[in-house]
Amino acid sequence: MNKSNIFLSLLLIFGVAISALAQPEISPERKQAIDSLALEKVKDLGKYISIIGNKDTPFSEANRVIDRALELFADDSQMGVSSLNRTEIEYYGVREYFQRLMALNYDRVKIDWFNIQYISDLVRQPDGRYVGVITVYQRFTGETDDGMKYVDTTKKDITVYVERKQTQIQGRVIGFWDVLLGDIRVTETKPG
Amino acid sequence: MKSLNKILILVFIVAISAGEYSCKSQKKIAAEEAAAATARKIAKAKADLEMLLGDNTGLSLDEKESRLKVIKDMNIEDAEVQDLITKVEDKLSREREAQMAKERAEKLAREREEQLKKEGGPKGLNDYFNMIANSSNLATSNRYINEALGQFASEDTPVLIIISKSGNTVDYDRPTTIRRYLEYLKDQKVNRNKIENVVYDANGKITELELIKK
Repeated sequence: MNKSNIFLSLLLIFGVAISALAQPEISPERKQAIDSLALEKVKDLGKYISIIGNKDTPFSEANRVIDRALELFADDSQMGVSSLNRTEIEYYGVREYFQRLMALNYDRVKIDWFNIQYISDLVRQPDGRYVGVITVYQRFTGETDDGMKYVDTTKKDITVYVERKQTQIQGRVIGFWDVLLGDIRVTETKPG
Repeated sequence: MKSLNKILILVFIVAISAGEYSCKSQKKIAAEEAAAATARKIAKAKADLEMLLGDNTGLSLDEKESRLKVIKDMNIEDAEVQDLITKVEDKLSREREAQMAKERAEKLAREREEQLKKEGGPKGLNDYFNMIANSSNLATSNRYINEALGQFASEDTPVLIIISKSGNTVDYDRPTTIRRYLEYLKDQKVNRNKIENVVYDANGKITELELIKK
């Protein structure tokens, strides 16, 4: 690396640092509101997954809910899927994950999310976005009419991005916090 | 003596003849009176039936049916009256069906109102939000959603949700539309927000809704 490249790299790092510092810090109250909003979006996702997986949900309703659930995710996000019957974890795009979830070969499916909490607080990044990780526990129960029953509990880590954006509503500029979920990684799978 | 007897016999004959003539005359009068009475009865029946065929009697349906029954019970053998009776029967039958339909609709409306009262008297938007969030039945939720949408200028009416207010700084969640927000309540089964501000158009329909976290 010659001297000019080193100079350019330093300039770039300096520029990014200046850019981050130029963004005003938000008050603890506003930060808390954003923390709660992100947590709420994860809870919403848990409910959507429960509806999509539920065999009593009509097909059209499940598809509508899939669309709503997809709006929670950043583009190209992936969902990890594990099973007690295999060691490897498979990753699917979220749309494919939801479609597979809807088509699971059980007669009854019950999915509950619990213990939803931050394991890594939302922290502001140099680009102004806030990034954090929320962990959830999912209890999955699938049953068939012939008596087969599968139950597991998985721990999942969800990367959360929060970004300040603006939009126009009836001629007014509205500033809002956009919460987007990233990859969901399985970190633990246990029976029962 | 013989001539006295003859005179008496003659007087007797004259008296009988006169009585017979008088009796015949009274029968004729009675018959004429009866005919006149029947004619009056027919005329009255026709007038009443025509009045019943019209819509300006001011009578209730029960009163009209009662009037018709009285006329029918007269058993008037007159083709025109019988024709009018048939027409009035048809008309009153249609009126009775319409009235029963109206009563059924009113009964249903009353029952629905009672049901709504039991569920908390949902007239306001916030009531609908709670009802949708608390409904365990998909069809009922969808009905509430459609009813609530009736208060809005369109189902794309913007909904802004304030997550925090700090001085002049207001932070919002990602804006949504009223249909999507109502469906969100249906899916999540929880109403986490309360109404902060409502904007109406000239027709009294909501054109913008601002909510705030409870």
